[in-house]
Amino acid sequence: MDLSGLITVAQKEFFDHLRSRKFLLIFGIFLVIAIIGMVGGIGEYNDNLDSYNENQASASSSPIRGFIAEKPSILSVYSNVATYLVFLGAILGIAMGFDLITREKESKSLKILLSHPVYRDEVINGKALGGILALVVSLAIVLLLSLATLLIYGIVPDASELTMILIFGIVSFLFIFSYFAIALFMSTVSEESGSALIYTIIIFIILSSLIPMITKDTVMEGIVGSAPDMPQQLIDQMRPGPSDNQSRMDPGSTARDSTTSETWQKYNTKMQAYLEKRNAIEGILTLFSPTMNYETMVASITSTDDGSDSRGSNRGSFAMSSMRAGEQAVSTDDALGKIVNNFLALIIFPAVFFGLAYVRFMRLDVR
Amino acid sequence: MIQIEHLCKDYNGVLAVDDLTTTIPEGEIFGLLGPNGAGKSTTILMLTGLIQPTSGRCIIDGLDVTCDPIAVKMKIGYMPEDVGFYGNLSAEENLAYFARLYRMDEEKRQKRIPELLRLVGLEGVTKNVGGYSKGMRQRLGLAKALLNEPSLVILDEPTANLDPQGVADYRRIIRETARKGTTVLVCSHILEEVSKVCTSVGILSRGKLVAQGAWKDLAAGLEETSGGSMTIRIETRDPMTDLFHPDITGITFSPDRMTATITAVSDIRDAICDQLYESGVRLRSIFREGLSLEEMFLSYYQQEAQ
Repeated sequence: MDLSGLITVAQKEFFDHLRSRKFLLIFGIFLVIAIIGMVGGIGEYNDNLDSYNENQASASSSPIRGFIAEKPSILSVYSNVATYLVFLGAILGIAMGFDLITREKESKSLKILLSHPVYRDEVINGKALGGILALVVSLAIVLLLSLATLLIYGIVPDASELTMILIFGIVSFLFIFSYFAIALFMSTVSEESGSALIYTIIIFIILSSLIPMITKDTVMEGIVGSAPDMPQQLIDQMRPGPSDNQSRMDPGSTARDSTTSETWQKYNTKMQAYLEKRNAIEGILTLFSPTMNYETMVASITSTDDGSDSRGSNRGSFAMSSMRAGEQAVSTDDALGKIVNNFLALIIFPAVFFGLAYVRFMRLDVR
Repeated sequence: MIQIEHLCKDYNGVLAVDDLTTTIPEGEIFGLLGPNGAGKSTTILMLTGLIQPTSGRCIIDGLDVTCDPIAVKMKIGYMPEDVGFYGNLSAEENLAYFARLYRMDEEKRQKRIPELLRLVGLEGVTKNVGGYSKGMRQRLGLAKALLNEPSLVILDEPTANLDPQGVADYRRIIRETARKGTTVLVCSHILEEVSKVCTSVGILSRGKLVAQGAWKDLAAGLEETSGGSMTIRIETRDPMTDLFHPDITGITFSPDRMTATITAVSDIRDAICDQLYESGVRLRSIFREGLSLEEMFLSYYQQEAQ
């Protein structure tokens, strides 16, 4: 199989990206912000580590063994970086892809290019490959600098942390590539770069703002309905007061306990069903948004998901938070297991858009 | 050699090229003429493999463009009318990129690219193509079309943006290229330009090839179809007396009677020379005015329209 056409196109695109002023500018900002994020994250990490050490010291000197917080992970530093990356990364992906084909149309170089002994699929694949390589290089630089920053501050990650940092890099790449693929598709369907950019930004807004909005409390309640109310009996039961002691001494309390338990069971089943329905819809919606997939995955990887849902849904509900409490403190394997769907979605999403761009480009009229 | 057989292209029910059949021999500079929308560009796009014909086929050096597009593209050098390059790269970098697509090795690229840039007068221009004038782009387009030493060069409106020096250079390059055995297909509406470089022409009208051949043959054919009417111009050293011939349909003399313009239904130059000799008038020149290129083209085009 002769890949020389593909390699030639990919090489040119790769160096075009690296020489492009807009790429360098956005990447420069991205780099600066990532480092600032790292430094801020390291500061927080050190503070948490200090309090952890203090707790450890006081716990070891005290005869009473109580709750000791988990040792802070250096991965929390990367969750700080991800908050910036979620916006700037998408912008970088869009900036790299929106004019890949329209620029060729506008400069009339597409006709010349396709008159050469190169298949159309080699051109579109070469363009994507060049973009992917440029993204990989950019993210590799960011990750290496982040590691260097950690080392400068005297933090040495262990092997498992390094693995998670690498996974963070892969997930970040898939996220940026998703927006790159959307922009590339828009570039094949549009005649001008301006239109391609506008269409891509519209999709970016839908995926990064509109879909997360839908998963918020009020909108979700409109879709799924509101959560079942807690029976008064249970509220009274949970309310602390003198009755607590009285009831224990009351001979009829056993009968009442069994009624309460039954009510609790019923309420629990109802709430479980409601949550399952809500989580299913939320999960499906999340899969459609690279931004939400990325946020979910980063939260799992960096173990900062406290179960209260960072996007705001279910917040404030005692029953929900108590039910989600079991999800806390997941192991590395569990964390990866939880994000398989998101990971697959983040692979499928750009693949679909790239597939569409491919088909459109193969049928492009070059008159 | 190019063979085009029953080539048709239908754009959503509109027949842009209609049953085009022709053969262009090797080493020929062939001009494809026609008004806007005649199907010239569509024919070129099908020859270059950029669009697929609805029916029919194009064969270049024995290779079918549809069946073997990559092999055909290796043999073609194409310069479109609106020639476009990568503005962020220099002429040399642009050509190097295209040369790599032609699978040209580094050594050959190092030799061929400076040679071509020298040929088209862009040697030593280091700025990026984005800063080029239209004429400079056109020159670079010509260099690109010759990059792979093609057996067929297709040029769409090659002199549209060139200055007089550029036009002269272009003509010289094209003639030299054809002399080496390369077939050149020039698509243009600048008739004078076509007449200066092309050895033969084809006239397209509404997607059909209405005439093809050498200029002289086409003109002769047209005269036959136009009833043989022609103009003869005479210049003498002495004043002329009246001229008589049954085929003369009109005659005008200059006030000094030293020049005359005759319209006749046949070529009566020999008879006129005899009359002038007998009357002792010394002849300076006598020639039959041919049809101008524009007249010829319009004539064919109008015939087809009728």
